Amino acid sequence: MNDLLSRIFSPATLNETLRTATPVALAAIGGAMTEHAGIMNIGMDGMILMGAFFGAYGSFLMGSGWLGLLLAVAIGILVGLLFALFVVKLKADEFIIGCALNTFAIGLTGFLSDSVFGHKGGKGMAALPKIYIDLPNVLSFLGKGLQGLSILFYLTLLLVLALWLFVYRTPYGFYLRAAGEKPDTLRTAGIRPERMKWIASILCGITCAVAGVYLSLGDLEGNFAKNMSNSRGYVAFACVIFASANPAKAYLAALMFGFFGALGTCLQSYISPDLTAAIPYVITILMMVYVVVRSQNKKKSLRLRKEKAL
Amino acid sequence: MKRRPFDTRYLLSLAISVLAALILGALILLLAGFSPLKAYGAIIEGAFGNKRHIGDLLEYAMVLCLCGLACVLGAKVGIFNVGGEGQLILGAIFACQVGVWMKEQPGWLVLLCAALTAMAIGGLYAFIPGILKVKVKVNEVITTIMLNTVALSLCQYLAKGPWKNPNKNMVAATGQPSPEHWLTGLIPGSKLSTAIFTAAALTFLIWYILSKTSVGYEMKLTGQNPRFAFFSGIKTDRIILLSMILSGALCGLVGMFRVYGGEHIYKSSISNDYYFEGLMLAMIAAYQPLPVVGLSLFFAVLKIGADELQYIGIPSQIYQIIQTVVIFAMAAQNSILSMLQDRRKEKTAVKAPSRKGGGDVE
Repeated sequence: MNDLLSRIFSPATLNETLRTATPVALAAIGGAMTEHAGIMNIGMDGMILMGAFFGAYGSFLMGSGWLGLLLAVAIGILVGLLFALFVVKLKADEFIIGCALNTFAIGLTGFLSDSVFGHKGGKGMAALPKIYIDLPNVLSFLGKGLQGLSILFYLTLLLVLALWLFVYRTPYGFYLRAAGEKPDTLRTAGIRPERMKWIASILCGITCAVAGVYLSLGDLEGNFAKNMSNSRGYVAFACVIFASANPAKAYLAALMFGFFGALGTCLQSYISPDLTAAIPYVITILMMVYVVVRSQNKKKSLRLRKEKAL
Repeated sequence: MKRRPFDTRYLLSLAISVLAALILGALILLLAGFSPLKAYGAIIEGAFGNKRHIGDLLEYAMVLCLCGLACVLGAKVGIFNVGGEGQLILGAIFACQVGVWMKEQPGWLVLLCAALTAMAIGGLYAFIPGILKVKVKVNEVITTIMLNTVALSLCQYLAKGPWKNPNKNMVAATGQPSPEHWLTGLIPGSKLSTAIFTAAALTFLIWYILSKTSVGYEMKLTGQNPRFAFFSGIKTDRIILLSMILSGALCGLVGMFRVYGGEHIYKSSISNDYYFEGLMLAMIAAYQPLPVVGLSLFFAVLKIGADELQYIGIPSQIYQIIQTVVIFAMAAQNSILSMLQDRRKEKTAVKAPSRKGGGDVE
């Protein structure tokens, strides 16, 4: 038992948690933006996949991971614009567009990958640097846990902070939240909610593209495999719901999903990793039920208090 | 979501969408250095050139059509069942296991038990988000998405663990039902089986119920205006829950068809997001059963035909691009049409005063 505990609370688990959580967290903070703007974004998986491919393709063309990242972000902006064009401008059902975007991304990246790299997928592109730091001995646990993480991991921390500040500490963030919750009030205040939705979609396109680049150039040594986003967009969506669209909480939720994944690897000999992987989703559903019931109770008690006051 | 009747305007925008998608697909093919004519020729050739392919095509169309109808059942009453994928694979794995357990029993009993188990499991799995929606008002789209992943993990676990195939070389596959219990194949070598007759009967039944009976009318009313339906004495909660369960049961049955008619085993190829395809198709069919049938045939032609592309060196994923462009265009058709109409109105509005004003100009 002690042996098991020490395996669970080891630097290796921390490292795996952080590594697997990063792409999910990146997508989730973008998803938090669209969620605040009142768009249910199912299409994150496709956005990640596009980012992964175009990051790898950019690196393949120009021989530098950073230029790959640049191309992926540019494409991410385009995908965000496309998403907003259909969802905001053309008022199409956001769910269908999200689903279609996922399939479209699988089709397009698969087609291009086959045409450019051949059937085996792309390998050996210039990747982004990984960071190795020497921490003093006292912090050796943390030091080992952080060893060899991609530079995008640190960028993610910055992005989480930046987006949190954006949403909760700037007027634009205030408009963004209003665009989702009270669009008509916002319109009365003279700001078009549609504009905030466009901005949210673009931000989401960018962070999802970075998440994709993390997969192809950050965590791996410059690889692209077909369908490599592997439903991470849905995990990110779960994180957004779990965190009620707060970017900082979404990061923690991504860590939770990552931890349960790492836990599955540790407990392999006792319980199937497939079962441990399902736990966070069940928790998310329970969490949703709890949130809804709590808000209903709040409303009820508010009404009771009002009646009493009268 | 607007539900317009199935009319000429709808058909026209569908035709334009398909045409636009084919043109865009041709452009992408050209840019990648392939001949679009050759590619489209190969798709037609792949879909109809061979008896076996026609069989596979009909089987695939059947799966899409039933998935689409499952979505229609929910959407009619205003509940969006996105969890069909999970219900489908759970139905498939349980139906398959029933076949493994009942190896010695007569065929009709096995098939009956398998179908009932699959429907019960699918229905039960749809009951969870259904009851959460009706009683607690939790968004069913999100819960069903979560439950999809849970179902996938569960099936992975079952297929790798307790119900694993005795043959060690097969990763993540369950045992096989005995060949005597398989549904009779209609075209040798293809996946088409007698399941298609049941599917056709079900399709007709669903169309009949939705458009010709009072239950169908109550469902439509519940979907369009739940408050009005509630106050006219319809038990809306019950009807929503029931539709959800039926939708799940239908998905479970599709899983059973896939096992006993097509794959004869449970493995990951039982469903490759087929339900999502069916769902998108149901949406662009404006939740009408008849266009669902037509569109599922069209999508099946694309998908089965595209397999042929690999042999002439063109990546087969082009079919997904074409398919999704059709979906994008159809999802936006309402507002594109109304925008065009507005512009036309504007033009006439601008013209009209100028003609009238012509006399007033000094």
